Amino acid sequence: MTLVPNPPVIETENLILRLPEPCDAEGSIAFRTSERSRFVGGPDSARMAWSNFASELGHWAIRGYGSFAVTRKGEDRCLGLIGPWFPGGWPEQEIGWLIWEEAEGKGVAYEAALATRAWAYEHLCWTTAVSYIEPDNHRSIRLAERLGAVRDESAVPLDPEDLVYRHPAPEDLQ
Amino acid sequence: MTTVPAIDTERLRLRALGPQDFEPLCAFYASDRSSFVGGPMDPEGTWRALACEIGHWTLRGYGRFAVEERETGAMCGLIGPWNPHGWPEPEIGWDLMNGFEGRGYATEAGRAARDFVYNSLGWTTAISLIALGNDGSRGVAQRLGATLERQFTHHRFGEMEVWRHPAPEASS
Repeated sequence: MTLVPNPPVIETENLILRLPEPCDAEGSIAFRTSERSRFVGGPDSARMAWSNFASELGHWAIRGYGSFAVTRKGEDRCLGLIGPWFPGGWPEQEIGWLIWEEAEGKGVAYEAALATRAWAYEHLCWTTAVSYIEPDNHRSIRLAERLGAVRDESAVPLDPEDLVYRHPAPEDLQ
Repeated sequence: MTTVPAIDTERLRLRALGPQDFEPLCAFYASDRSSFVGGPMDPEGTWRALACEIGHWTLRGYGRFAVEERETGAMCGLIGPWNPHGWPEPEIGWDLMNGFEGRGYATEAGRAARDFVYNSLGWTTAISLIALGNDGSRGVAQRLGATLERQFTHHRFGEMEVWRHPAPEASS
């Protein structure tokens, strides 16, 4: 089904961010069934991972936004799922990032998170955003800090142990 | 991308699922009636389940429909083809929302869904998986002319029966 009427595409210096598509399932399932997903509730069975990717698509239909598939310019291969994320039960609207192994440590997640945050502020009119991070997910913490986010101990976490990083507000990014 | 068709029967309309279906699904999944189909689930789980149902359409090109009572517009069922990763083969599933049992709605929508998979998707056969003890669902399978074929152990729901529907030429 058509998930949203006019699917957005975001272009950055090196990346094209587009809606996730069926051809992106394989990479997402590989991630969710691997040890690398341990900070986001994994690893899952292949069945669970498939359903999880289906939910990523359905999130777009329900909310009108969701995680973008991150691709390098000139190479339409999904390298991760990054962007505004707000499934039922989430305390606040989040900028989330999942990056596949081949693209880790190359600045891809940073560039995509920066662009999707700007998109959420401009097109969804978000006035704030958080990122929920497990305390021993050091790479993710570094990315949050690089994005200018800071710990917000007054925010409601997803799980009691989670850290909540709050992003700079739109006006602070001017 | 697939467009979800709308299908009208005498009393029902099968249409695309959307955010408006979250409330009736929450009530269904919160109740013990959902125990045969993976429930009970909290609202957070239900939200994910709804998102998964919608994503199934994108991934497979088909999926389950929201069934509406034409007279009232109430969402009364989640019915149609279903084939997530790891399923034994594509099935036709039917879940009636709370308060809509005993009116023949699952049979009416199930028949329309079966016509859809045979005529529009080109399926040549179809099953329905039914948890042991789900007598209401068994009755629907029987009314649709399906026959008990074998048992199947589902990774989450346990022992289930595989009911085989009449082939396209026999069910039209």
